[in-house]
Amino acid sequence: MPANPSLSLVNRLRILRETQFGAFVPVLLALAAIWGYFGLAMPLWEHLTDPTSDGLRLIFLSPRNIYNLFMQSAVIATLAVGITVVLLLGDIDLSAAATAGVCAALLGVLMLAGVPGWLACLIVMVVGTVMGAAQGLLIAYVGIPSFVVTLAGLLGFQGVMQKILPTGNLNISDPFVRGIARVLIPDLLGILIACALVGLLAFAALRRRAQRAAKGLELDSTTALWGQIGFFTVLVFSAVLTMNAYRSVPLLIVLLIGLTALIGWVTTSTPFGRSIFAVGGNAESARRVGMDVKRIRVAAFGIVGLLAAIGGIFGASRYGSVSYTAFAGGSLLLESIGAAVIGGTSLFGGRGSVWNAILGALVIGSLGNGLDLSGASAADKLMFSGAILLLAVAIDAVSRSDGPGGR
Amino acid sequence: MSQVTDQSAGLLAPPPHLRVRGIHKSFGGVHALRGVDFEVARGEVMALVGDNGAGKSTLMKVLAGAIAADTGDFFLDERPVSVTSPNDATDLGIQIVYQDLALCENLDVAANLSLGNEPVRPGWGFLPRILRPIDDLEMEVKAQKAIARLQVQTLKSVRARVGGLSGGQRQAIAIARAVGAESSVVMLDEPTAALGVAQTRQVLDVVKRLRDTGHAVVYISHNMRDIFEVADRICVLRHGGNVATWRTADTTTDEIVVAMTRGLDQGAPHAS
Repeated sequence: MPANPSLSLVNRLRILRETQFGAFVPVLLALAAIWGYFGLAMPLWEHLTDPTSDGLRLIFLSPRNIYNLFMQSAVIATLAVGITVVLLLGDIDLSAAATAGVCAALLGVLMLAGVPGWLACLIVMVVGTVMGAAQGLLIAYVGIPSFVVTLAGLLGFQGVMQKILPTGNLNISDPFVRGIARVLIPDLLGILIACALVGLLAFAALRRRAQRAAKGLELDSTTALWGQIGFFTVLVFSAVLTMNAYRSVPLLIVLLIGLTALIGWVTTSTPFGRSIFAVGGNAESARRVGMDVKRIRVAAFGIVGLLAAIGGIFGASRYGSVSYTAFAGGSLLLESIGAAVIGGTSLFGGRGSVWNAILGALVIGSLGNGLDLSGASAADKLMFSGAILLLAVAIDAVSRSDGPGGR
Repeated sequence: MSQVTDQSAGLLAPPPHLRVRGIHKSFGGVHALRGVDFEVARGEVMALVGDNGAGKSTLMKVLAGAIAADTGDFFLDERPVSVTSPNDATDLGIQIVYQDLALCENLDVAANLSLGNEPVRPGWGFLPRILRPIDDLEMEVKAQKAIARLQVQTLKSVRARVGGLSGGQRQAIAIARAVGAESSVVMLDEPTAALGVAQTRQVLDVVKRLRDTGHAVVYISHNMRDIFEVADRICVLRHGGNVATWRTADTTTDEIVVAMTRGLDQGAPHAS
């Protein structure tokens, strides 16, 4: 496409946003900026200003740190994916982290009582779904705003978690649960999985193009098609090879990606997902075409509950313990809502994607990780997180096609 | 007094497709409809006019099943039917395009046209219908056909988001969605109220195309110029009752305006 010099930067951004992959752009820019700053600019600055330093040390971008980064972001990402689903409806869930905490505590107590790990996981997933769906019932059928219901849930579930865990801490030693974060996919298998993913995507994209051509529908440009495939290939292989360079791809990450792919597919490619977007875009319209708006709401809150429970299991597995501050009492809730919003999901509903939530979680994780590495205080971390959240949402707001002031 | 029905128009008109008789509707103490008769034939644009509070919107909502009439009879092709819910109306092929259009601006044109009725790919029968994959290619084909039928020329792509379209295009999409649902009666509520000249023209062309494809069109508007351009007959309501129905060719703007504001009994020249 020839560049048009008369286009302003904002207009270019808007045009970019209209393309299929365009929604990724702001969050990718944010990620690139953070990685560039902590990974390259800071070490370089230290190296140049400190004559005693012994060579350039790229700690942030080392495979070991990237590996830890992915693991640290996994719990936030799981919750952010769930929260994205209700944000798409135009609702919010403030109780997700508390639900995760209750589920993790229940998991620990169940296993302490001798319930096998896999069964305990299934039980807490059901419990989480019920907790979410119950809040959904109150929102959809009683008509209480989701902010209020889930705020009550946040407070109430925090209390429930303290009741379940009177000591405030419980170690997890079950090999099944610990295995989720500890099991590593062998290097070769990881590369094979990456090859299979790339092959599958390329095959699907090319077949779809052939079908579009056969049906006489408009085609995307070939450059865009191969650009997308190439971009995806680079992304997958660099992630797998980086993690292989330190240890291997952890099972946790594979589960997270699989889970996100499933939720992503449900939200974008099924009538149920379409109805979520429709309710978020115009609930009256959804009602008039015969969609059961109330049931959709309950289902969406059930999904958040389920993902919160899975987040709780992931967290318990990764930390090897369940503690009040790691879930309900800590910053997990605000970080996961922040991750979803930084990913470009609108708080007003109808716009967003679960994949962006993963990238948003990486942004939040990278920021915390980078500031830790550079020895920043907790106060600095909080202020930086706030600034990044504002910046990401501001980029999103000006680059949307309806411009500032719209939704 | 206010229930004079113009017999000449009724006799010369084609047989009605949808006909209602003696519709009464009260909201608490307000008697919004007092025994209204209304009819519309296939291949005809019937304008429904009246001053504010005349009962146009209430009548339209009754026809669409959005509110249930207290008393009154419905006939579809002279067969008695009952319409008490929007689903009844949809099943009978009665569709309404509300003034607010109710489009999802965050979705593209194709998704809006199939909303609530998305085609799914075969071979996924083990999943409940709402979790089967959407056949989005089929959806685009359907959308293109619907757009082509109404000849919405200015629309470049069915993959454009509705939020980026002009008012006239949105109106056309909303009409296409109503038509796409196997409808025979399409009711349009003030379709040109918020539109400029060019876009109004576009919508009026779409309305004419609906008539030419054998739909029964009910057209509610305040704009006399638009009404005299597209309508075949004009039904005037006043204070919740019929004033009269004219054939557009036999009347004038002044006559309709007088009927809307004063009724027939106060010296309207039509009383012949």
